Amino acid sequence: MPYIEIIILYCLKQLNGERTIYSIYHLLKGKKSSQTIQDAHLYKLTHFFRCFESISREVLETKIQKFLGNHWIVPNGDQQFLVTSVGEQVLTASLEKQPFPKHLDGWKYHSESLLFWERFSLLVQVISNFNFKEAHYIPIQKNKQVHRWLKLFLKENSWQKNSLGKILHSELMDCFESAQNINPAVFIFRLTGYCQIGLTPLQVAEKLKIETTKYYIEFQNIIHFLIQHVRANPIQYKLLSSIILDIKESNPLTHSSKITYEYVRKGLSIQEIAKTRGLKTSTIEDHIVEIALNIDGFSIDSFIDKGIQKKIIAVANRTETKQLKLIKKHIDTANYFEIRLVLAKFGGVKQ
Amino acid sequence: MKLEGILKKYFGFQTFKTGQKEVISSILSGRHTLAILPTGTGKSLCYQLPGYVLDGTVLIVSPLLSLMQDQVEQMMRMGEKRVIALNSFLNPVAKRSVLQNIERYKFIFISPEMLNVPYVMNRLHELSISLFVVDEAHCISQWGYDFRPDYLKLGEIRQQFGNPLTLAQTATASRKVREDITRFLHLKEVNKVETSIDRPNISLYIEKQMDYQTKQNRLFELVFSLRKPGIIYFSSKKIAEEIASQLRKRGIGKTMAYHAGLDQEQRVLIQQQFIHGQLDVICATSAFGMGINKNNVRFIIHYHMPMQIESYLQEIGRAGRDGLPSIAILLYSEGDVELPLQLAEGEMPSKEQVDWFFSWLKNNNHGKIELFYSNNDLRTIGGFSEIQWRIIEDIMKTLIRIENMDVEKMHDLVNEYINKRLEVKRANIFKMKKWIDLNGCRRDYILDYFDEPIKRNIPACCDVCGVDLNNYLAHDESIQERETLEEWKDYLSKLLISGLEV
Ligand SMILES: [Zn+2]
Repeated sequence: MPYIEIIILYCLKQLNGERTIYSIYHLLKGKKSSQTIQDAHLYKLTHFFRCFESISREVLETKIQKFLGNHWIVPNGDQQFLVTSVGEQVLTASLEKQPFPKHLDGWKYHSESLLFWERFSLLVQVISNFNFKEAHYIPIQKNKQVHRWLKLFLKENSWQKNSLGKILHSELMDCFESAQNINPAVFIFRLTGYCQIGLTPLQVAEKLKIETTKYYIEFQNIIHFLIQHVRANPIQYKLLSSIILDIKESNPLTHSSKITYEYVRKGLSIQEIAKTRGLKTSTIEDHIVEIALNIDGFSIDSFIDKGIQKKIIAVANRTETKQLKLIKKHIDTANYFEIRLVLAKFGGVKQ
Repeated sequence: MKLEGILKKYFGFQTFKTGQKEVISSILSGRHTLAILPTGTGKSLCYQLPGYVLDGTVLIVSPLLSLMQDQVEQMMRMGEKRVIALNSFLNPVAKRSVLQNIERYKFIFISPEMLNVPYVMNRLHELSISLFVVDEAHCISQWGYDFRPDYLKLGEIRQQFGNPLTLAQTATASRKVREDITRFLHLKEVNKVETSIDRPNISLYIEKQMDYQTKQNRLFELVFSLRKPGIIYFSSKKIAEEIASQLRKRGIGKTMAYHAGLDQEQRVLIQQQFIHGQLDVICATSAFGMGINKNNVRFIIHYHMPMQIESYLQEIGRAGRDGLPSIAILLYSEGDVELPLQLAEGEMPSKEQVDWFFSWLKNNNHGKIELFYSNNDLRTIGGFSEIQWRIIEDIMKTLIRIENMDVEKMHDLVNEYINKRLEVKRANIFKMKKWIDLNGCRRDYILDYFDEPIKRNIPACCDVCGVDLNNYLAHDESIQERETLEEWKDYLSKLLISGLEV
């Protein structure tokens, strides 16, 4: 089964017929809207966030038609689908053969992975040409900010220029040795150096005989692994970790939610925030849910009575659903915002 | 000081490239000059050097913002700080301060539309312009393939500046276009400096094929047997991709497609791979080639028919820069003329789109037609492509400035303009087709088209005069591609460690 189909079918299964197929589209594209972010968390799909930006609506729709024809899914409302048991079997078998790479974490790294790649690949090119005493070459990265960063990086750090290559090499080798289920070739052949131009994604995919979608995901996986791994071991990976030292670990909140969060910390109520910011209360409620999803230890007690929280958790566990309507049927004392907030905070169903 | 001395002092070069010295001498002897030099001959040096000799400001009119930006950056890198580009990239605050201190600049690049702004013109009039440069001068002619209505008023502007010494530059210009350049710039006498458009080491070869399938097979055959590297030009991204993938599958050459649909990193990689010999065939659209310096390209194949002789020549000109024998092959199959005709029509806004646009203007303008620029949705709602929208913008900018022009009249003029452009484009395509169907020497025809004297005794001139394709085949087919089964570990140490140990 083509890799893109595995991803889509998996997403459909996670969504449990409770969201439309376009939430998959927005997830893979990485749309930063409250709805997309909440869904990603609620249905445990955050690792796919912005992991396939080139997906088109047409591709998604054709795949859905194919799944329907194969009886892998059945309609469950408008543009919503449930995965059938046949579909689940197919998915399980495919995932056994080709499991998703385990370092992939689009939500956590989406804002820095491109920058990491641009900096890293330019650094390699500069070091390699330096080693061969070549001063005239075309920089492979065109981003001016990255060029400025590199100039400063080489100036400020007291690296000996002719030892950079060796250090980077040994750090990379260490990194890959401690990684499991990773094929470094996916990453390494993309690099450019002295008189050796790196391959494009399509070329590496063809060389390694990997499907292009899969290649793309594997590449993201390695970038995410590298960022996570060197950040956790800054002493061991002195050079590699200094590449991303100045990039703040991304605050995952959308801009507007960040402002709301500041007001919440000042103790304002939802109504007060809405009034101050000139926004609808429902918008502020969206922000609160987003904050609950992303900020560990964020207390929701000031927004909802503890007793009702417990009731909602109990119902969600009993009915095994994340659909608000169904939960609300069982507790008429809770409103939709409260249900959403509790699901966000406690991740819906308990294990 | 002799010109070479100035060249050495300011640019660090020992010698001029072909044509440069002639252009510079012509300007410095005080003659208006029309320079027709192929791209890549260092056109900016032709006005920069005289700028250092002459007192006063050099004003350079240039149609493409990106090109302008490139030239400014290049001059700055060479240490020239008195250079500025006046265009829409400049924010209002910066523009104000630049204009206030305009005397500081020796070289001023300007987009044609900026020449319409009264305040800008007032400031420029206070300068003494020692040299007025018109870059891409062919844009002034509606017979050219890149006509810009904005350029038409450059003659008037020149006169407002008091008829300054003028340099008009272009890469190619047919007889008609040359006439238009001198006429519309109001140049009474002009000294022409041109290097020949002709490249005697490139054989011109046309092959007619029965149908599309035969043509495709013939392409595979040619690419397989011809001496490489080479470039195949297509009019369609999709087909360029398909053929590239087919060639890879068949193991014919190391091939990639190149077009504007790829992201920037991939475009840079593919260009560089080609230059470094890691690829030997590129399936390209016209997006490929600008700024590529590769001397040993042995063949250019046109899989689709080009839109005009000018762009055809520019594309085949990327072969044989080392002076060694090279070949340009154009494959034509029955009905191929339809594709460029469709493309030409598609580039122009349709009648329906134009009608819609004007009914929108009538209902929404509140008497302020110029507001349409700022409406970004208009392009999308009207379904205009980028090129179509640029055409609308170009012509509207010109019309808006004409006093007492009502919307109805504009509507008529826009329709008229579009029809005329389409006619010119069709005429160019049929001219190309005529060349393909020619019974006489293909080179003679082109030389005549560009008003150049006919040459004789060119070996392997064209398929009509006689060309033996065998001379262009690779002899060493036996040398198998060293398909490198390199390990990533070796690759990585090659990149990061190997130079040090040498
Ligand atoms: Zn001939």
